[in-house]
Amino acid sequence: MINIALNEWARLFLASRGWLAIVAFSLVWVVFLMYVIAPAARYVSSPEMGGLVDLILGRLGSRTLSEWQSVEIGLYWLFSLFLLPFFTMVSAADQFASDKARGTMRFLVLRASRTQIFFGRFIGQYLIQLFIILLTFVSVVVLIAFNAPENVDAALQEAPVVLVNLALVLLPYVALMALLSVFAKTARQATLLAIVGWIMLWFLISYIQSKYGPYSFLDWVLPGSQLTSLVRLAGWDTLSLAPIPIAHTVVLIVVGWFAMQRSDI
Amino acid sequence: MSLINTQGLSKNYGSVKALDSLDLSVEPGEPIALIGPNGAGKTTLLSLLCGFIQPSAGSAQMLGHEVGSSTLRGKVAALPQDAHLDPRFSINRQLKFFARLQGFSGSSANEEVQRVLDAVLLSDAGVKKPGELSHGMRKRVSIAQALMGNPELVLLDEPTAGIDPPNVKIIRDLIRSESTNKTFVISSHNLDELEKLCGTVVYLNEGKLVETGPLVATSNDGYLTIRLPVAPEDQFMRECKKLSGVLDVQRQAQGDYLIQHTQGQAVDQALLTMLAKNSWQYRHLIKGRSLEDRLYG
Repeated sequence: MINIALNEWARLFLASRGWLAIVAFSLVWVVFLMYVIAPAARYVSSPEMGGLVDLILGRLGSRTLSEWQSVEIGLYWLFSLFLLPFFTMVSAADQFASDKARGTMRFLVLRASRTQIFFGRFIGQYLIQLFIILLTFVSVVVLIAFNAPENVDAALQEAPVVLVNLALVLLPYVALMALLSVFAKTARQATLLAIVGWIMLWFLISYIQSKYGPYSFLDWVLPGSQLTSLVRLAGWDTLSLAPIPIAHTVVLIVVGWFAMQRSDI
Repeated sequence: MSLINTQGLSKNYGSVKALDSLDLSVEPGEPIALIGPNGAGKTTLLSLLCGFIQPSAGSAQMLGHEVGSSTLRGKVAALPQDAHLDPRFSINRQLKFFARLQGFSGSSANEEVQRVLDAVLLSDAGVKKPGELSHGMRKRVSIAQALMGNPELVLLDEPTAGIDPPNVKIIRDLIRSESTNKTFVISSHNLDELEKLCGTVVYLNEGKLVETGPLVATSNDGYLTIRLPVAPEDQFMRECKKLSGVLDVQRQAQGDYLIQHTQGQAVDQALLTMLAKNSWQYRHLIKGRSLEDRLYG
């Protein structure tokens, strides 16, 4: 299983397509840092505008940015909670799809159990997502070091809560893509299935809630359904919502593992 | 201990029975030919044995273990039909990964990869990506992965399909040389090729077992097959029928004749004398019928 997990890194870093994805993401992220987070942090830090932004965020139910020791980390937290899951749905989409379509999976099944392959790839992809979280966080700290070096300590103090929470947020998305890539023929198809499926389920739940509800458990069915509640919490209180992504992950991973066992390859 | 055992093994695709209650027992030894027309169930059987697909009913064991058992890993290898290596990575990298999954450590994995590439006469191909190789070379690389470690049973699904004669010869020689310490099961439509390699035949048709047993069957007694490159057909058949013990002569294909004779009576000596007398050259003389004639004649 360790060999298979490590091979996911090789699949990303040793293939030109993997490098292309990394470079594309890095460029987008650099642009995002320079033209979104940095100006937004300056804007929010100004005494005239900061109050207005806090008022808007407060109205939206979010923890206000002035509560953060570092405004940049606060902004990073808000944006990455909603951006990184989308990136995960793209980057973790090819856990099995193309290998199954090409028949490469047959060479693997002759040497490892389906359970080893399934969990090996899931763990490998999750470790890649953790690496991306760490990389994006470090990039924000570097930005702070350039713009406001006095805030670096404050940013590092926020690090454990932010990193642990982002790691929990992405977990069910990796599991979702593991499940979908068992059925999909290509990575693109798996990503499309995830997005279209998520939107359709959201509409279905909204319809059921408005017509027959409210049923409180339906509020927690979709991966990421805890995000709007998560932005209202601060510090380690955020972990009070940790059971939700963990429960999503367990359900998705069990269904995915079962599908993998039964799937023709 | 049987090499392969199946009991009532079935696989349905909707209403189509790809494999229908197959009861099969095959012993280790000489290569085994798995033959049958398209849709006979050959690939389905091999896919079930490899664990690529699940049976609809029945069970199967290889080397005394249930199919899918972790005990079989490393003991059973296969060349799956239509399976391709990842085009993004070099042959070396992919084979080394397979070797590591089979338990080889870093340096021994490299050695094993080189050993199997040497065996398929592709020593220098390791640094290339699959797309840089010809179809025949890619097939040989796929066979190389099946030779990694020390498998007791190697299942080859259409190893020579779409391959040019030089590559076919390389594959045939390889199977022959490797057959000393492992048993090959070879699914193919190339009956001539199978006759050269195999000692046992498993014949499937419409998902059912039609025949299993030695390639040189007792039903071959009383037949000779001869190939003549340039003999006049009518004259040869006439001369042949004059020989003592010959019951019938049939032309099979251009230059191929099937001679039926009285069982237990040696006709071959008289036949060779007749050929020499008429100055007719022969290319080969087979005791019995060809596999093609036996099964489809």
